[in-house]
Amino acid sequence: MKPLQQLTTEAYRQKRRLVSPLMGFPGLSLTHSTIKLAQQNVDEHFKVLKALAERFHPDLIFPLMDLSVEANALGRYTVFPCRESATVPKDDFNIEDLELLRNINIAFDTRLRGVVETVRLMSKKLPADIMKGAYVTGPYSLAALIMGAEDAAMAAVMDTDKLNKLCNFAKEKIQQYIRLLVDAGAEAVCLLEPTAVMLSPEDFEQYSAAFIREICNEYKNSDIAIIYHTCGNTMHLVEKMAGSGVDAVSLDSPEAGVDLPGVADIISSDVVIIGNINPTGTILSGTSDMVREEVSSLLRSMDSYPNFVLSTGCDLPEDVPLENIAAFMQTGREYRIS
Amino acid sequence: MEKEELLQKILHCVENGKVNNAAPYPPNMKGKDGADEWTKKALEEGIGPDEILSEALIKAMDVVGKKFSEKKIFVPQMLISAKAMNAAMEHLKPYFQSGAVKKKGLFIIGTVAGDLHDIGKNLVGMIVEGAGWEVLDLGVDVNSRKFLDAIGSHKDAVVGLSALLTTTMANMKTIAQDIKQQYPEVPLIIGGAPVNENFKTEIGADGYAPDPQGAVSYLNSLIA
Ligand code: B1M
Repeated sequence: MKPLQQLTTEAYRQKRRLVSPLMGFPGLSLTHSTIKLAQQNVDEHFKVLKALAERFHPDLIFPLMDLSVEANALGRYTVFPCRESATVPKDDFNIEDLELLRNINIAFDTRLRGVVETVRLMSKKLPADIMKGAYVTGPYSLAALIMGAEDAAMAAVMDTDKLNKLCNFAKEKIQQYIRLLVDAGAEAVCLLEPTAVMLSPEDFEQYSAAFIREICNEYKNSDIAIIYHTCGNTMHLVEKMAGSGVDAVSLDSPEAGVDLPGVADIISSDVVIIGNINPTGTILSGTSDMVREEVSSLLRSMDSYPNFVLSTGCDLPEDVPLENIAAFMQTGREYRIS
Repeated sequence: MEKEELLQKILHCVENGKVNNAAPYPPNMKGKDGADEWTKKALEEGIGPDEILSEALIKAMDVVGKKFSEKKIFVPQMLISAKAMNAAMEHLKPYFQSGAVKKKGLFIIGTVAGDLHDIGKNLVGMIVEGAGWEVLDLGVDVNSRKFLDAIGSHKDAVVGLSALLTTTMANMKTIAQDIKQQYPEVPLIIGGAPVNENFKTEIGADGYAPDPQGAVSYLNSLIA
């Protein structure tokens, strides 16, 4: 059993839960920083994470979510708004360009290197009882960033060879990135595959899960936990996600359509389920009492499942009030399974 | 070939996303004619463009929209069906332009300012077009000015706003209010993952649709 599963099971035995909201951006207010600064500067980035760790002490912590890092490292056009996460807008792409992209060594990219160094600082300087995670864009989502999300969706049926080739290429670059992150001290790697929510279960298996399986194989006999995150309504995809060899699945909120106890009923209990408080609902615009109620109700609904970690359905937006995160953490910490 | 059979062929091609003879999808129809060729043939055989629209295209896209709502097909399959519909529409365009065939009305759609997400908006546009409406797509990152200009030139249009970010819901509210202030009688429908019925009421829009099929039902209710 890997540490993530071990800790989850151990907590359950003690009738409590691990608690880990996906909270990068709200931490910016703790250090008076901006998304742009933190996503481009290692020290600034680490300061935010340190402040979050000190304030909330989650069981698992991640850097700021940034789905543009890998595509940007591969030379794709990227924009950097001050108060929003960096974005990769649609740009021209021909499959012939792939050969040019192949020659790019992403390990030399400053921003990607910056995330690796942030993880190194997390590993060295954050308390040992907080597990250090890292985000990586999943193969299909990276392919969609490279060729455009709509074109990637079309290619899933019209140009299967091309898309397979691109996803395989994305997987190879991702593997290289993961090795750097693990070397820097990442104990859990969360593969972000948001764009794959658009696919049918069969296409999801072909363009995402099959490649994730290859990534998992590399870490089968290690302590590194591989987490599969897809946001949106993934009820038609969870079995493919859980069956890909990952250690955990991270799922979106009931408002997005995800029924967490329903998921726990159909997937293997060896796979940890991470989720799924709505990141843009009560926690963003409700009171702390409302957050406590929502979190308690989720916890109660998962009482009979040992393989559960309390989290949010996706990354929290910057405007989430810190007192609501505190309410989330406190409710999670104090809860006892009946 | 019988008229019914030809219309069925077009319907089948659109429903299953067979664009033209050269298209590799769906695999079981490889090398066969698609919506493009069958529509051309139907017109040559003297079938009216209005009949092709109502008996083949609208019916096919209705099935496609329903299958999507029921999660029997997904975004790629829906995009391909829309592409097949477009291939058929290309042959009908001259008849729309000459006024020989009338559309149900004009639908102006756009993704609101600050928001670049357009796949959902595009799908809504395609399904609405397939339901017999003319669609004017203003694209992404569309501000009040652009919406107002478009409405100014088409005062009997219905307007649709799409937003995918919680941060751009505020822009949707501003745009909705600007539109309603200047054109209170213009029907306004909103959609996109973070918005809902309550938000529709809050911003003074007239309709909310969770998916393209919902948008079509709303539009058709206006002319029923
Ligand atoms: C008028 O009447 C109507 C009626 C119905 C209407 C309607 C209008 N409009 C839509 N509908 C409805 O019908 C459609 C069909 O059923 C539906 O449309 P949808 O659009 O919901 O569904 C589509 C068919 C498929 N869904 C999609 O197309 C969205 C998929 C996800 C993965 C997504 C994508 C692909 C992209 N993204 Co973005 N993106 C995400 C999405 C995460 C997810 N898993 O959902 C989401 C929406 N993005 C997000 C974010 C934060 C961002 N994105 C950004 C950028 C992008 C890309 C450009 C890379 C790409 C867009 C490509 C494109 N051409 O559209 C950035 C913002 C850029 C900007 N200014 O807009 C960025 C800020 C940064 C980032 N994290 O990447 C999140 C929003 C969080 C929130 N609630 O605010 C997000 C949920 C992912 C996440 N969890 O981080 C219905 O909503």
